[in-house]
Amino acid sequence: MNTMNTTTMIQTTNTVLEAKQLSKNYVLGKNNELPVLKSVDLSIQRGEFVAVMGASGSGKSTLLYNICGMDRMTSGRVLFNGVELSRLPEPALARIRLTNMGFIFQQIHLLKHLSIFDNIVLSGYLCGNRTRREVEGRAAELMEQTGITEIAGNDITQASGGQLQRVGICRALINKPDIIFGDEPTGALNSKASSEIMDLLGGVHREGTTVMLVTHDIKVASRTERVLFMMDGRIVAEKRLGAWPLSENGNDRGGSSADEKAREAELAQWLIGLDF
Amino acid sequence: MMGILFRILRRDVVRNRVINLVIFALVAMSAFMLASGAGLIVQLKTSIDAMFERSMVPHLVQMHAGDIDMERVVTWAAGNALVDQYQIVEMISVDGSHLTLGDWPSSEDNGVMDISFVVQNEHFDFLLDHDNRPMRPAPGEIGVPLYYREARGLSVGDRVKVDTGASLHEFHIAGFVRDAMMNPSIIHSKRFLVHPLDYTKLRTHHLDTEYLIEFRLSDTSRTAELAAAYTDAGLPDRGPSVDHRIFRVFNALTDGMVAAVVVVLSLLLMLIAVLCLRFTIVSTIEEDYREIGVMKAIGMGRRDIRRFYLIKYIALGGVASLGGFLLSLVTMPALTGSISAFLGAAQPPLMLQLIPPAAAALVSAMVVGSAVLILRPVHRISAVAALRSGAVEGRLRRFGVLPLRIGRRVGVNVVLGMRDVTQRPRLYALIVGIFAVCAAIILVPFHFHSTMKDPSLIAYMGISRSDMRIDLRQTDLVGTRFEEMLSTVAADPEVARFSPQVTARFTMIHENGTQESMAVETGEFTRFPLEFFSGGAPRDENEIALSVLRARDLNRGLGDSLVVLVNGEPRKMTVSGIYQDVTNGGRTAKAPLPVDEETVLWYSLIVDVQPGVNVAHKTAEYSRLFHPARITDLEGYIEETLGQTISQLGRVALGAIGIGLMVAILITALFLKMLIIKDTGRIAIMKSLGFSLSDIRLQYQSTALVLLATGVVAGTVLSNTVGERAVGLLWSFMGAAQIRFVVQPLHAYLLLPLMLASAVALTTLHSVSRIRNTSIATTIVE
Repeated sequence: MNTMNTTTMIQTTNTVLEAKQLSKNYVLGKNNELPVLKSVDLSIQRGEFVAVMGASGSGKSTLLYNICGMDRMTSGRVLFNGVELSRLPEPALARIRLTNMGFIFQQIHLLKHLSIFDNIVLSGYLCGNRTRREVEGRAAELMEQTGITEIAGNDITQASGGQLQRVGICRALINKPDIIFGDEPTGALNSKASSEIMDLLGGVHREGTTVMLVTHDIKVASRTERVLFMMDGRIVAEKRLGAWPLSENGNDRGGSSADEKAREAELAQWLIGLDF
Repeated sequence: MMGILFRILRRDVVRNRVINLVIFALVAMSAFMLASGAGLIVQLKTSIDAMFERSMVPHLVQMHAGDIDMERVVTWAAGNALVDQYQIVEMISVDGSHLTLGDWPSSEDNGVMDISFVVQNEHFDFLLDHDNRPMRPAPGEIGVPLYYREARGLSVGDRVKVDTGASLHEFHIAGFVRDAMMNPSIIHSKRFLVHPLDYTKLRTHHLDTEYLIEFRLSDTSRTAELAAAYTDAGLPDRGPSVDHRIFRVFNALTDGMVAAVVVVLSLLLMLIAVLCLRFTIVSTIEEDYREIGVMKAIGMGRRDIRRFYLIKYIALGGVASLGGFLLSLVTMPALTGSISAFLGAAQPPLMLQLIPPAAAALVSAMVVGSAVLILRPVHRISAVAALRSGAVEGRLRRFGVLPLRIGRRVGVNVVLGMRDVTQRPRLYALIVGIFAVCAAIILVPFHFHSTMKDPSLIAYMGISRSDMRIDLRQTDLVGTRFEEMLSTVAADPEVARFSPQVTARFTMIHENGTQESMAVETGEFTRFPLEFFSGGAPRDENEIALSVLRARDLNRGLGDSLVVLVNGEPRKMTVSGIYQDVTNGGRTAKAPLPVDEETVLWYSLIVDVQPGVNVAHKTAEYSRLFHPARITDLEGYIEETLGQTISQLGRVALGAIGIGLMVAILITALFLKMLIIKDTGRIAIMKSLGFSLSDIRLQYQSTALVLLATGVVAGTVLSNTVGERAVGLLWSFMGAAQIRFVVQPLHAYLLLPLMLASAVALTTLHSVSRIRNTSIATTIVE
């Protein structure tokens, strides 16, 4: 998966996303601005699996929206694959999001007039880089990987929350993006579904895709390799957890329950230790 | 991609079938009516063109009563470079009391028409048969004007009797003639066509003849020039002079008006369709706010997003307009029936045939165009804002809030219902707009119909409003007869008031010294009102009022001056007013000037009878007394000349009432259904606070009634202002500009609004009764 993109990237640089002195203020009124991001520096390497944690209002979602070009920063720079996003017009930003980025949201928000399969292939058709047949083949492959092949023709009202989030993952992956952004991707799911989704995302990451998640859930963050902690609009701490332990056959569920618990405990310990 | 768009379309059509069906029906109906209106106009123009071509209508006609020196006219015409062809047509004037048509129980004594007998012309101005060929009746046969076929229920083979007492002539109807010049009912002269042998026989018993001095020009735009040259030459001119443009206007009048009303109605329906469209699209955007945000977030372009929403309206507009157009093809023969009968069927040229489908296409283009405009806010939705809040921001704009304490008097539920209107003005503005347009759909054709029916209409046509009008054309000792008539009327205790008006020829002197002859109606003009397009009646001897066409010819406006020779002396006169005139060729003037009997063209007397006096009886009495003067009972005049138009308009007005009510009911039901669904949470909260179902229903009923009242008031104002202007504008295309609606207050302000209100109130009661027994708990679960 992503062989070509990865090759291209390696030839250029190993950094997929870089934010320099990124600031964002919300305008509340005349002469009344609320700074939400304060000179954030961030660098994400190709193939990384990163989580951003922090309390509500710490600026983690705003960081995500600004580094993906969905929102306009107040000052600073964001480089994506070496291209400076702040200088691009809206249509060019939209094109990058469609082609090179994938998104998974807490509420999936699929198009209600489309079947599950159509929701997945739509971005592929719009992207226009591949033939219709290739897009559909890719969708079928993704649905099989995520275990939702049986519900392909269903209406979105005929699927569970966990199934819908899998649809969201398929949609995010349809154009083989360089990076996947997730904003609380498991926030609306029960713990079982949440764990399954994280298994899937782990698999996506292992196949070479860069993944960056915003979450407040220790269980979710403990599945990543690097955790950034935000507070008052700044990244104030960072922890490297290393790779998720796999079973012998390479299955996510291979890591023993004890390993998982240990990883979570280590992260919790670290968070408690952050003396802010 | 097309597959996906098609699937989006299919699902949406199934899910929102009611609103889609309503918009579909509105668009289809609008397209149907616009295509029909356009088709009518096209057919009208084509048929008139064809008839004018086949009949070789004269471009200028000078009517003349009395002796004529034909040689002079012939010599003059032969030497005039403007004249292409000319002829002098002799007509035998037959008194209505001598003519009986078919089995009609009475003679044409009380008819308003001037009846003449003629033979077929040789060179031009042909009277046409059913197939638009010059009709040539055999001896003993007669060609009867089409007007009488409808008015007297005649058919081919029926008998026509001309009985003077001294002589009796009988004819069989060979067919009905189309007379390009006198076909329209509004023209009160009609020509009967007979064989030359019969004509000669008739001529021996009827000495009253009139002449039509007719010209065809090689350059038809120079008729005014030829008319001026004719009068300057001092040729026979005791009668009005009429040009071909007026014939065209009159021929187009009846069906043209119906077409105009149909077009106005179709535009109003389109307006409703666009309002509904706006409502649907705005609610869809609000509903899909977050989805749109997500689409933007994952990188879909604006055009892609817009395409999802637009596809439906492109399909809907296209299919509905096509349906409307096809329906118009089916109903077209019925609509153009009277055109075919009166003017003859003719195949329009290809370019014109394209107009009705183009009109239908215009409707669909308007639908799609409006959808594009309404969809613009999609551009402004911010992905981040949509993802964060999930609700449309900054939309709540309120106009003050009714304090609940006033509810002590009228009830809290009523106040809450009314308060809702001020709290959600954007939501409710739409339905108020629709009620207003529905009121306009009902009222505009109704007003127009009442206006056409009202006796005061004639005041817009150049005829002073009165009970009765007596016209005396040139006969022997006409001056003495008129004096006798005046003294009889003055002595009649049943007459309330009267005003003599004498039309005479005056000479006008242009700035460059050239002279022009002009017919001026003299007398007193303030006693019997005439509607003026601008200004008013002349009040002293230095003022003159001009008809619109005359003012245009002379290039004079209100307040301008012109010089007229009065008793041989030049007198500078100021234009006091400009009025519409459809009589005497439309080129007239009115001024209180002294008259030289030698120059008199005709005499008229306008009479109002005392209250309670039967006008018809008085008309009959004067007809006997003042023979051969023509006595016109003006109400009867309108009935005879415009009766058919009025009844046609009446049917359109009735149809419009039906359409208006239907649309109001449909939209109210739909709107309340959507509102109740939208307000499920709110209703549940009120229920949990202890409001009963009937309390809540009362709130919605109050809201609906406030909206209805506002809408109806707005619609009434709209009809009387914009509606009046629109109809006036269309009316002006037909030659008579500016009309003020005659409003029947009982109907316009009470009965029709009440009808609309009842329809909406009943619909509201029914829709509101469907508010379910929802509790807050079930709402949360839902």
